[in-house]
Amino acid sequence: MKAGRQPTEMHIDSRERDDVLLRRSANGDEEAFTLLYRRHQAPIYRFALRMTGNTWAAEEIVQDVFMTLVREPKKYDAERGALGAFLYGVARNRIMKHQERLPREVPLLNPEDDGFAGYAQAIDSATPAHWAELRERRDHVRAAVLELPADFREAVALCLLEEMSYEEAAESLQCPVGTIRSRLHRGRALLLAKLEMLRDMPKRANGTR
Amino acid sequence: MTCEEFQMADLDSGLTAEEGPLQQTARQHLLECPHCAALHENWQALRTDLHALGAETREAEAPSRVELRLRQEFRTKHKTLKRRRVALVAAWAFAGAAVVVCAITWFNWRLQHGQMANMQQTRGGQSTVTATNSTGGAQQVSPAGPELGEVLMASNDASEFTLLPGTMPGSLDGATVVHVQMQRGALGALGLTVNEEQAADWIQLDLLVGDDGQPQAVRLPATSD
Repeated sequence: MKAGRQPTEMHIDSRERDDVLLRRSANGDEEAFTLLYRRHQAPIYRFALRMTGNTWAAEEIVQDVFMTLVREPKKYDAERGALGAFLYGVARNRIMKHQERLPREVPLLNPEDDGFAGYAQAIDSATPAHWAELRERRDHVRAAVLELPADFREAVALCLLEEMSYEEAAESLQCPVGTIRSRLHRGRALLLAKLEMLRDMPKRANGTR
Repeated sequence: MTCEEFQMADLDSGLTAEEGPLQQTARQHLLECPHCAALHENWQALRTDLHALGAETREAEAPSRVELRLRQEFRTKHKTLKRRRVALVAAWAFAGAAVVVCAITWFNWRLQHGQMANMQQTRGGQSTVTATNSTGGAQQVSPAGPELGEVLMASNDASEFTLLPGTMPGSLDGATVVHVQMQRGALGALGLTVNEEQAADWIQLDLLVGDDGQPQAVRLPATSD
């Protein structure tokens, strides 16, 4: 999804450090805040989208995360890590709250709603049958990812979907690299198990008839 | 390499990274172990799906309305803060100005008060020798003590005394003030007119007694009238 963002003329050097921008933003510099937002919103949005499977929820989470920067900029301490990691931390809390609020919410598998609409364009050269098969398979994978426990899902979302390195994911989730590796290993095993079950289900059903 | 070792090895990079001893061992294990080969095959298929799934949302970003809302919120928050800051500065400035005005007023009042006291003291000093003497005399004579003495000093102005009939204005040199309590009717004996209805009232007054022991002037306190 590509948002139709209105480009605004910026007078701040785009290489300005996050903590400097945040300080300026806290002093009421809207341009600095906008630059910060544009720098960090996309990965946070994708993370929220992949964790919730819902564009509305992801939008709300991004808004909450950056609202924290507007309202309580002093919550971020530059000595404790990068701003990106702080934002991921806030996003994780919001995602957790979102999922506590809607524990049984099942995202609608509608490409228009779930943020995965680009897939349809990617395979338009295939036959309708192939398209349907691929889409069904992709839906199963997506559902399996969304059913993973949150810790494993975070690792999968960052390392396998966002394609971050283990080190980057560890920094974002503020945990050791070994933890990421372990969560990823277990998440992968769970995914395989879930998809294996899904694949087997029709066979078993056919077998009992 | 055992199956456990194979599974614990990084399946992503284990067979795709540059060929090394680990990759060679893993590849060898794949040829020997059908279970791990199936697992690896499944993982490769899943990895492709995950990659495609990730690619679908790789360019995703929050809609522009989120940015607009946040910027609106930012403006509102900082405008309110700015207003509060201005109000705070104005309040402090007002309070400071009030303090300065109070201080100046107090200072002026003190200055005027001091000047008046000085003027009174100067007038008192310049009045006559009688005044100086009379103060001492009053303090000696008065049973009321230093308070009364202070009052006498403060109001030690010969012009407040009313000369008794028959007294010459120039004959007050060396006179002494005597604070006395007497019946109003006794003033008649000094040649003053007395209201008969109040003749029996006790009043306190100051008498200016000359060198000869004769009262020369009288000063009635305002309350005794």
